[in-house]
Amino acid sequence: MTAQAVTTPALHRTPAKPFYFNTSAHLLRITRYKANNLAELLEALRQCPEDSIFQHTFRTLEEHHFIREGFSNDFAHWALAACNEPGLAEVLASVDVREFTSVEALRLRFLEIMERDLKNNPQAGARPADETFYFCASDIVVLPTSFQGRTMQEFVEGLRQVSLHSIHHHFIEARLRLKLMSNDFSQWLHEDAGLTETARAINRIDIYTVTLEEVRQQIVRIVERALT
Amino acid sequence: MGTMKLKSAASNPKPPDAPSNHISPMRPERRTAPRTWETPPAPAPAPHLQDYERIVGAAVLEELRFLARELRGKTVKMVNSTAVGGGVAEMLNRLVPLLGELEVQTHWDVITGGNDFFEVTKAFHNALQGSPYELTRQAREIFLTYNEQNRQRMQFNEDVIVIHDPQPAALIRARQDKSARWIWRCHIDLSNPHPQVWGFLRPFIEQFDAAIFSSQSFARQLPIPQYLFYPCIDPLSEKNKDLDDSFVQKVCDEFGIDRSRPIVTQVSRFDRLKDPVGVVQAFKLARKYVDCQLVLAGGGASDDPEGAVVLKEVREAAGNDPDVIILDLPPWCALEINALQRASTVVVQKSLKEGFGLTVTEALWKGKPTIGGSVGGIPNQIIHKMTGMLVHSVEGCAYQIRYLLTHPEFAAQLGRNGREHVKESFLMTTNVRRWLLLLQILLRNGLKV
Repeated sequence: MTAQAVTTPALHRTPAKPFYFNTSAHLLRITRYKANNLAELLEALRQCPEDSIFQHTFRTLEEHHFIREGFSNDFAHWALAACNEPGLAEVLASVDVREFTSVEALRLRFLEIMERDLKNNPQAGARPADETFYFCASDIVVLPTSFQGRTMQEFVEGLRQVSLHSIHHHFIEARLRLKLMSNDFSQWLHEDAGLTETARAINRIDIYTVTLEEVRQQIVRIVERALT
Repeated sequence: MGTMKLKSAASNPKPPDAPSNHISPMRPERRTAPRTWETPPAPAPAPHLQDYERIVGAAVLEELRFLARELRGKTVKMVNSTAVGGGVAEMLNRLVPLLGELEVQTHWDVITGGNDFFEVTKAFHNALQGSPYELTRQAREIFLTYNEQNRQRMQFNEDVIVIHDPQPAALIRARQDKSARWIWRCHIDLSNPHPQVWGFLRPFIEQFDAAIFSSQSFARQLPIPQYLFYPCIDPLSEKNKDLDDSFVQKVCDEFGIDRSRPIVTQVSRFDRLKDPVGVVQAFKLARKYVDCQLVLAGGGASDDPEGAVVLKEVREAAGNDPDVIILDLPPWCALEINALQRASTVVVQKSLKEGFGLTVTEALWKGKPTIGGSVGGIPNQIIHKMTGMLVHSVEGCAYQIRYLLTHPEFAAQLGRNGREHVKESFLMTTNVRRWLLLLQILLRNGLKV
């Protein structure tokens, strides 16, 4: 954090380092894992590659960024829609991807929930689902964008202009890269722009009750408030 | 019941302004004559990449340009079996110029063959989708002979060769070494293929570097990576582009549709698997509680004997109901279909079996609250209660029609979500992105199994 970043209270302040807006593009791969009941889902969850867990949690949240409520991850959705298990679906849906900095830890959380549920409700395991769950996976390519925040004004402008894929890349996926309970925006605001409280406020935004576009707007509002 | 049919002048001796014989006797004053086309209109010019900016935003186009930058200098060849007609040719007609604009040089070649070849490949196509078939030695030889002729005629110097569907699959034998990447793009449902036909084709498919399917459930267990490319719609095509409301009104006037009352529409061929009779039954159940009209707009009845039978069944189910408007349209009525979808209050696609269901995509893109049968690719598009309503029965369909017509705010929210869902996953620009990603992954990162 530089002295200049801390003491210049205007939109034009110069952070220690620019923020480079990137984005990620995903390609869906179909894996060999599938499930026709909850017991098979549990088994496939144990065996599938990490990028399948990523696809059905982090990535599906991005694909359905426009939905405000009731869509958390594909496992929860399938437990409700295809297996008619609202209790299990509710618990699976409560898994907040932002509490995880590794996909393996996220997998273990789903396994724990599924194992507990099937232990208490063993007859549900073999009941055929209405439709098959196909495990997919994401191949990812990270791309630059033409936006960078050399000043706070440019940072805010970048936030407004980049695609929602870029917002997801920096705000939600980032924790898997950072291995921190944080995001790229908050890290940069804290480390390079000296706006620690702003960084914390952004990190507290609830991504499960608003659309990703609304998340973007909230981030912009929080940063602008800190600069005025 | 009002039934209108648009067809070519050659088979319809009435002058263009003559009213249809099938116009309902009810409220005839509302119905002016539908236009009759003597020939299909010339296709609209293909849009440019920049034209999509107002729809998907500058940032999405920028992503495409960044992805394409890595591929400059690379060349791609697409090979399929027809240059016109059918969904694959329609898609390539849009995709190839867009890739070209992104400076990914893409050539499109079409294989040639005699009637015997196309009879065999048509039979393969049906067998791979589950129809009974006896694979003979002669059929195998015809398939291989024409593939060999095409292999000798064509050059394969590009960095990536994409073979569409089974017809040209044996061209993989042209592969000299591992320097080029070969991709098999399967547009058909392989979930329950004829074992003999699939057993014959599979050794060819396994020689490709990757395969692409339109649905998770269509994929097979293969030793090569399999990717999921959903079918897509072009938001700038005649079927989907924005229309002036005056045109929508004009089309409704021509067909005798009253826009002051709710309109429930299903657009699909007159095919039992689309369950048009079930839609009429659902409409009649719903209308006990809410005022509405039903529009069934389709085609296929004039050139398909089974379609004509189904159309007759639909007419019988509709009886003399003046609020059931049945339109048998020729395939080039894309603008009229677009207008009918836009005029609708609720769109239904109550299929009993479905491929992907692009009519659902079209309705969602137009922001329409949509009810779909929970089959094929429809659940990929309709997330129940979020982007539309899934149903499993006539009664369920009737209930959802009633619910959506009496809860307009909820219906509007479904429509907004549905449009966003299409924008994210089922537009032509997303398809271009998938191709660029796949080319990058295969060329840059090597192969991943």
